[in-house]
Amino acid sequence: MSKTILEVTDLRKHYRQGRGLASMLTGEARVIPAVDGVSFYLRENETVGLVGESGCGKTTIGRTVLRLTDPTGGSIVFDGRDITALSRAELRPLRREMQMIFQDLDAGLNPAMRVRAILREALTVYERPSDAEIASRIRELLEQVNLKESKLANFPAELSGGEKRRVGIARVLAVRPRLIVADEPTSALDISIQAQVVNLLRDLQKHLGLSYLFISHDLPVVELVSEKVAVMYLGRIVEMGLAEDIAHRPRHPYTQILWSSLADKQSTEVSRRTRQETVERERRAWGVFDFEHPAGGCRFAPRCPLYEQKGRPAVCTDPASEPRLRDVGRGHVVACHFA
Amino acid sequence: MDALLAIENLRTYFYSRAKRAFIRSVDGASLSVARGETLGIVGESGSGKTVTALSAAGLVTAAPGVIGGRIELRSNGIARNLLDGLERYVRVEEADGHVVSVEKNEPGWRRRVEALMAGVRGKEIAMIFQNPRAALNPYSTVGSQLVETIRLHTGAKGEREAKERAIHWLERVRIDSPRLRFDNFPFGMSGGMCQRAMIAMALSAEPSLLIADEPTTGLDATIQSRIVELLAELKAETRTATLLISHDISVIQRLSDRVAVMYGGTVVETGGTAEVLAREASERHPYTQALLASIPSAETIRRKSYLQAIEGEVLDTIEVPRGCRFYGRCNRVTEGVRERCAGAEPPLAEIAPGHKVRCWLYPARS
Amino acid sequence: MRRFVQAPGPIGEFSKLPLLQRAERLDLVYVGYGLLILALVLASYLLGALGWLPHDPRAMNVELINAAPFTPGHPLGTDFLGRDLQARLIIGIQAYFLPGLLAIAISVAGGAVLGVLAGYRGGWLDTVITYFANLLDSFPRLVLILLVIAVFKPDIYAVMVVVGITGMPETANLIAGKISFLRQKNFIEAAHALGLPARTVILKHILWLNCRALLVIQATLGMAGAIIVETSLSYLGFGVQEPTPSWGNMVQAGANYFLQGNFWPSTAPALAILATILGFQLLGDGLNNILEGKRRR
Repeated sequence: MSKTILEVTDLRKHYRQGRGLASMLTGEARVIPAVDGVSFYLRENETVGLVGESGCGKTTIGRTVLRLTDPTGGSIVFDGRDITALSRAELRPLRREMQMIFQDLDAGLNPAMRVRAILREALTVYERPSDAEIASRIRELLEQVNLKESKLANFPAELSGGEKRRVGIARVLAVRPRLIVADEPTSALDISIQAQVVNLLRDLQKHLGLSYLFISHDLPVVELVSEKVAVMYLGRIVEMGLAEDIAHRPRHPYTQILWSSLADKQSTEVSRRTRQETVERERRAWGVFDFEHPAGGCRFAPRCPLYEQKGRPAVCTDPASEPRLRDVGRGHVVACHFA
Repeated sequence: MDALLAIENLRTYFYSRAKRAFIRSVDGASLSVARGETLGIVGESGSGKTVTALSAAGLVTAAPGVIGGRIELRSNGIARNLLDGLERYVRVEEADGHVVSVEKNEPGWRRRVEALMAGVRGKEIAMIFQNPRAALNPYSTVGSQLVETIRLHTGAKGEREAKERAIHWLERVRIDSPRLRFDNFPFGMSGGMCQRAMIAMALSAEPSLLIADEPTTGLDATIQSRIVELLAELKAETRTATLLISHDISVIQRLSDRVAVMYGGTVVETGGTAEVLAREASERHPYTQALLASIPSAETIRRKSYLQAIEGEVLDTIEVPRGCRFYGRCNRVTEGVRERCAGAEPPLAEIAPGHKVRCWLYPARS
Repeated sequence: MRRFVQAPGPIGEFSKLPLLQRAERLDLVYVGYGLLILALVLASYLLGALGWLPHDPRAMNVELINAAPFTPGHPLGTDFLGRDLQARLIIGIQAYFLPGLLAIAISVAGGAVLGVLAGYRGGWLDTVITYFANLLDSFPRLVLILLVIAVFKPDIYAVMVVVGITGMPETANLIAGKISFLRQKNFIEAAHALGLPARTVILKHILWLNCRALLVIQATLGMAGAIIVETSLSYLGFGVQEPTPSWGNMVQAGANYFLQGNFWPSTAPALAILATILGFQLLGDGLNNILEGKRRR
């Protein structure tokens, strides 16, 4: 039974969007609840996938969990230690254990530094290795990420997408982390390179015992690499469970739409049922969640086909009854009144 | 052959001053689109798919640009070569099978292209681009941009008539409340809606050929599927020939009748979609096969096995190797063909009616 | 017709060449000229400081008023009081150089501090500093300078302090913009995530590695600007006063005799101003292109 390396409880991250100097003085501002009460846990050597569309808050969760930005509420427990309110100084030694692979391929790669310098800097953040040790560690890192030695003398601008991703991973591995938050590690890469990176990440997990929070919108890849998957919509987890259950037996209407959009792209014979649903969806006006005047109740109601089908039941829009995650067996939880 | 657009041996090169070498973006590509058909071009970065489309639309402006080939457009009974007269503006020196120097009168060629493409671009050939909001004019309402297109390229010259047609098209691309959206600016619309507006603009001119460059990339998953649905419906309704470029194989599969796979600036395989993109097919270009294998299949996911990744990096079109461009990464090379693979580039050979492959494992039978 | 030739042989990797080879020839010329001017400035300063001048710049020689160039003993001629032009030109440099250094020290260092504070911390600090910088920027520099002169005596150093302070917003904005760009690329966040201390991130990554070209240009352009301010003020009579030579007041003094046919006493210092300002600006431009690795179109 592996222990829990990360436990997140009721995490909230609200952004205040002020309107310039005036709002600063009056204290009046718009609050955007990017992450609004998220709970999950991650075990050692395990991968939890986080999926959702843009704006759902998955990237924000990644950054908040690593304390790159401070949470507005809730708690984060890393390896048994509550890190929610630790100061920067107290956090510093823990930083090396939890790292992030950023979505942007250029993140962390200073355009004016050659790859060798970038890796050397990463190696000297927490330790003081000798020159010989640095050289041998660099060689080790290159081997781990499958990067040619000739690339050491290059600047980031001269590297291909896949190579940049690998240097980014090597840089993060240099500090010997235990938890890695991978934020869209494969987007912006070619398909054949994506496969290489996915294989690499799984390899590294096997050999180094890493734990991953895998954030991505690429559903098949998430299903492949994760043990558990959480589906997010507008700052909340709407469904969570074993990867297989989420992919093949989704219960929340949003999850169903997400996975079926995959099928839509591929199918050459669109079934009559899905075609009808599509047509109905188009006819409906776009429901957009307005953060300034939240309608209350289920956030997905404006777009929910189930809501329409059941004749717009009041419980879905009742502010007092926002759906909570219910257990439907095998650790599979869903936040919907009708799932 | 009833080809609407026939590209023959297109070569579009760019020049890297840093490396003092040519970037062979498109290095001898040939493909054709028949009337009413959708040809999907699949490829990764550096394959030359986007540059091919831009060359066909006369939108390549960097130097040296298009340096050779023939692009024939047959519509309304007229056949014209969109690269007519190129030889007068370009002089190419080759040695040892490789281009050594290029002399080009760029300004002269630009003028010629504008003259050739007048009346073609927008009217016969319409194009939609990857980033919808960036392609629309941010200072002008969606409606007025549509009306502008309609008045320019169709018979509807009157303001009111054009407006009605514009609203009709907005409806056809399933934009809700089209009369209201007519007065929206691009920044007030979501990515998916901007993409629909761009499709409306392109199709409202009733072109013979639609070039769609990565129309679904950058959009959210659910929006992507809707745009794909829309394109499928419009395809059935309007029967416009389409050149669809994407790196997303599932989109290509859903929308294309035929497929061309590009790698390193050339077409390495072309044929019917079902034939070329079927996972289990046996007779196929090694690249196509390997590419499809790198996408997680239901089986791979079930077994949680490793993906079959292609070794090495995507071809850098500056350092083009001597023989087959895929030789360095190919996992189907046998001893019998190794020498040929390393030495010379294979020609496109037909292995089944309509199905051509560029590989020494399938040599031309002539 | 443009010709593109593929270099024979293996395709080399540009960045592995040493800096001098990577630079465009034109940029090297610019930098060369700029360094030449700088060297002349420093040499002249040194000569002046050590007293190795051909003549005392204040020594009047009533017999040789407005002598033409190449008069024996006075290679550049003399001015309306018989003073040697060459010596006066050399000493004239002292009128602007050290004060100019003060101005650029204030504007670059102050601007960098403001820029980093605004860009790095962001939030309310960014807003406050931006407002402050805009405020500063909106003051007409000349009016402020005249105000300073009216309040204090015409002290060129006080003027240069004003020049420095009014020059801060530009640098601050450029640096804050650069930081904003880096932030967008998750660059700063990634450095934090790795555990790099803030000091390293700011000094090494932001300022040294990414902003040094920017700071160099701001310094050289700042010097060019300071020269213009000093010479203009001296021309108008508010800067360096007679008999101390400044290129500005030399132009003014010679102006009276210009129409009489004595061009040189006015023209020589004017040319010196031109050549020097050009030198500093080209130095900045060329260095920027070389350091940033920009290709000329």
